[in-house]
Amino acid sequence: MTSAYRTEGAEPILEIRDLNVVRGNETVIRNGNLRVIRGDYVGVVGPNGGGKTTLLQTIFNFIPKESGEILLFGKRTEQFNEWSRVAYTPQNAIHFDEQFPLTVRELVSLGRVRRSNMLRRLNKEDWNKVDDAMEAMSISHLSDRRIGQLSGGQKQRAFVAKSLSLDPDMLVLDEPTTGLDAGSLESFYKTLSNVQKRRNTTIVVVSHDLSAVFCRMTKMVCVNRRIYETDDLRDADGLLRKVYGEHFEFMKHEHECQGVFDDP
Amino acid sequence: MILESVFDDVFLLLGMSFFQRALVGGCVISMICAVIGLFVVLRKESMIGDSAAHISFGGIAVGLLLGIEPLLLAVVMSVAAVFGMDYMKKKIAQADSAMAVMLALGFSMGLIAIGLSDGFSIAIMDYLFGSILTISNSDLLLIAALGASVLSIIFMLLKEYIAMTFDESSSKLNGIPTGILSVIFNVMLAVTVVLSIKVVGVILVMALMVIPSLAALQLSLSFKRTLVAGISFAVVSTFIGIMLSAVVDLPAAGVIVFADFIMLMLLVAYKRLGHSEENRKPSKEKQPIP
Repeated sequence: MTSAYRTEGAEPILEIRDLNVVRGNETVIRNGNLRVIRGDYVGVVGPNGGGKTTLLQTIFNFIPKESGEILLFGKRTEQFNEWSRVAYTPQNAIHFDEQFPLTVRELVSLGRVRRSNMLRRLNKEDWNKVDDAMEAMSISHLSDRRIGQLSGGQKQRAFVAKSLSLDPDMLVLDEPTTGLDAGSLESFYKTLSNVQKRRNTTIVVVSHDLSAVFCRMTKMVCVNRRIYETDDLRDADGLLRKVYGEHFEFMKHEHECQGVFDDP
Repeated sequence: MILESVFDDVFLLLGMSFFQRALVGGCVISMICAVIGLFVVLRKESMIGDSAAHISFGGIAVGLLLGIEPLLLAVVMSVAAVFGMDYMKKKIAQADSAMAVMLALGFSMGLIAIGLSDGFSIAIMDYLFGSILTISNSDLLLIAALGASVLSIIFMLLKEYIAMTFDESSSKLNGIPTGILSVIFNVMLAVTVVLSIKVVGVILVMALMVIPSLAALQLSLSFKRTLVAGISFAVVSTFIGIMLSAVVDLPAAGVIVFADFIMLMLLVAYKRLGHSEENRKPSKEKQPIP
């Protein structure tokens, strides 16, 4: 399934080998294998309860694994200590307490709060990165707005900006577009494409909205107990049938897919 | 004429050292409570201060019974209670029921201790309802030392505490030692509660923590401005409360907390009247593409 160009010289960002994850008495991930290289734009799909979120949480050590190996930048996650190189925006991140007194810029700056700058204030470089991240997500104009006042799409952008503020090599987003209307969703994914192109950030995105992600992906991953992956997107329909069943009909919509987009 | 005599009273009081101590002590305690309180409110654990205070009451009563320094025992038990609640929250129960259990436990210990001794029900009243006018110089020193340490710890770790309060798991991912910082915060919380007992008493401690922060939250400001607003409201209410209670000769604790409450009501009204930004409708993003 792996095409030739990927094996030569491409830097692996994430590798999963023979992963088994058990929750309660149930095996949620069985013998999972996955390889993500630098610059990949990975769309993760699969039925509800198929283990998408579990897979991500296992990568980030929030859930223990039963057996197998997970490597980030070639290091097993048990020994890995450069967590700032990977950013994770969990499902429902945007369902926070709307009363929480933070401006957008303050929220994004929380992304820069990390062990190495404990006990001192954020410096000029930190704030530059914060402003860059807001710029990349096209929310600079919302800088002083309270986060509770944002629309769903704006909240999502703010949280991705928070993740981007540390300049991660890989950005992992779990269901970032749940509840967004079609227009916000489309423009969100366009912005994300720009981030991937301009910053060469590897993106892994879990989404129900297959069609919006589909045309931008370099790799599709289906999770339903097992992990199926393909780099050949012409093969996507076959892969989806494997996961969802033979009767599955994939609706493709026309999207502007490639290239760098005008920022909204 | 009445006004004149009121002013005379006020100037007389301001010249007296016990009253000066009450003002300074009260305002410093209010400041610390407002800072700790904002985090407590945002963690949705408003009752934690109340539970710690009632456990302290148990500690004070047992201390009086056994002849151990009551406030010292109160600090020890209050710290233990805060950690107990933390543990229960993780392993046994929801946060709110954990707090309810601790509150009840503290008060029942106090009642048992009082019943066993039969001698100090007068002394215990001071702890129940506060005795701000009897703050001694050594009390004041203790309050100042606590105030300085709590405020400097919070401000040194401000961005970490904000990050943790907002989203603990992503803070952990960024390598912030959330476990240790929580322990530090819990100790500060417990000690603050015990020292506040001197000012407003066991029953009203949580008011000092919760009300000024809640009032500040009405203004929809940035985090730092909310913190500053909360501190200001707390200090102003306490100052007005102590002055007023002296002039009209009513219990200081009651008047302080009532002043806090009036302040909160004014701010809620201000918000309702639409002066705050929060009332603006969230701006829509670009219209959906048909």
